[in-house]
Amino acid sequence: MTSIAVLGVGAVGARVARQVLSSESSIDVVLRDERAARLDTVARSLGEGARIDTGTYAEPLDVDVVVLAGPPGTHLEPARRFVAAGIAVVSVSDEITEVRALLDLDVEARERGVTVAVGTGFAPGMSCVLAAHAASRFDSVDEIHVAKVGTGGPACARQHHRALRGRALDWRDHGWAQRPAGSGRELCWFPDPVGAEDCYRAALPDGLLLVPAFPGVGRVTARMAATRRDRLTARLPMLWPSHPEGGPGAIRVEVRGRRGTSRDVRVLGVMDRPAVAAGAVAALTATWATQGRLRRAGAAGLAELVDPAPFLSELRRRGVRAAVFQHDAGPAPL
Amino acid sequence: MKMLRRALVALGIAGAIAAVLRVRGTGGVPPQGGGWQELTDDAL
Repeated sequence: MTSIAVLGVGAVGARVARQVLSSESSIDVVLRDERAARLDTVARSLGEGARIDTGTYAEPLDVDVVVLAGPPGTHLEPARRFVAAGIAVVSVSDEITEVRALLDLDVEARERGVTVAVGTGFAPGMSCVLAAHAASRFDSVDEIHVAKVGTGGPACARQHHRALRGRALDWRDHGWAQRPAGSGRELCWFPDPVGAEDCYRAALPDGLLLVPAFPGVGRVTARMAATRRDRLTARLPMLWPSHPEGGPGAIRVEVRGRRGTSRDVRVLGVMDRPAVAAGAVAALTATWATQGRLRRAGAAGLAELVDPAPFLSELRRRGVRAAVFQHDAGPAPL
Repeated sequence: MKMLRRALVALGIAGAIAAVLRVRGTGGVPPQGGGWQELTDDAL
């Protein structure tokens, strides 16, 4: 029997466990969380196939794949230990320094022949798969621009708050440029019913995952939607308690590239509740890891690790549906 | 002292203008045509 451990059963982790159990009858799930009451509630809601492990995040486990779904900042040490034990790791972290540190595990993971899938949530995660799929239509990719709106659970909301006061990383002219988070306002048009949102630079890790996947790309940027209140209060502690789960969210990925002698742009997106979509992406990544369908060993984002078309097709079957912006599909909704 | 007061007033005005620009900014241009269509299995 194949086993997947889910470490952290918040809004995303609980969805990961549910997705795995509902779609793969041959996989059982081990749940870990520091909150015993939450762990018990989630395990009971999942029924048979899920069992509780009361160890800490970094304690050894006898499983095939570990999904790190705890709050950002808790992923690195468990990832190191499980890679050292030869166990594949799937992390949903979207914290920029943690993503960089997880990518630094690449050499050790390659040596041990295990995969560390980094940034496997909504954005990064789904955004990386959309970028890879859009890029497959081009001979070479010049620019990738990612924008997202919405948050999952409370940990995601706190990370959204922190990202607006950090430093954004833009890949520009084949080098990194740091810009103040909250700058670079841009009106981005997301799939319906989200529609248009003002988006700003933020401390987002998408570039760190996309640049290695597209050698020669000239520009990679990531923005996220924010309200005026978000931007004004970004440098303060969160003034209101986080909501249990955010509302609808969306991703927009714009890829510019060359095909033959012409240049073109392709815009893909998805609209869903971020925690639900993130859970589906991480669960499918973990399932593919157990089946040996990830492209290589080592630490990388999903743009490098998965074949985007079958991955998106399987996500579509699970209810996470991608969309393409057609420039000639009639007037845009206002 | 007078110079210091003028400098502080100037800094205050500049800060207020910067805050207004940060909050209000300028809007973008929405797409003038087109729309989102679901990616079907055939399109994938």
